[in-house]
Amino acid sequence: MATSTYLSNPVVTVNSVDLSDQCTAATFTHRFDQLESTAFGDTARKYVAGLGNHEVTLSLYMSYAATETYATLASLVGTTTTVRVQPAAPPDSATNPGFILTGAFLAELPVINATMGELSTVDVTFVGGTYSVDTTV
Amino acid sequence: MAYRIISPRIGTPGELWEPEVWVNVHALVKGGFIESTDTKPTQAKPAKAKVSKKAAPDATSAQE
Repeated sequence: MATSTYLSNPVVTVNSVDLSDQCTAATFTHRFDQLESTAFGDTARKYVAGLGNHEVTLSLYMSYAATETYATLASLVGTTTTVRVQPAAPPDSATNPGFILTGAFLAELPVINATMGELSTVDVTFVGGTYSVDTTV
Repeated sequence: MAYRIISPRIGTPGELWEPEVWVNVHALVKGGFIESTDTKPTQAKPAKAKVSKKAAPDATSAQE
């Protein structure tokens, strides 16, 4: 049975900044727009891939300290950058691929998400860009 | 342009850093993660100016 249990090994970098120790969840979706190509004579719907429409969503502890979460993300809002998520610490390999979204756009950043008595967290989503997988060292 | 690492979140502080494609260098500089290798002399300039006023003819010529 194939399972993946994530404890503390995943590596998350945003704009080359290692935010692994602030990240609690990462969802990297490799996706294409779904274009219907069904035509007369078909007995079932058919689809072809349209444009790539990939995205990465990260859950991060919000920290306003120097070179932490806020410092990393604040200047990226409204711009494009590179996000990299890897299941375990390097080196890259076929069983430990680095998933990369290059030229991904960050549309918004919740600058405060505060609840009394809880650690502040924010979810950020990078959309668009070019998807690639790095399996070589 | 060359950059020097400040934050260990980028790499080893003090080492030169080469940006990869699509890395937003401006955001890294603004966030205090890296500095341009041209940045350091800029920070040192005010200190040199103060010294040159008090004495040091060498410092005055260096300033020019």
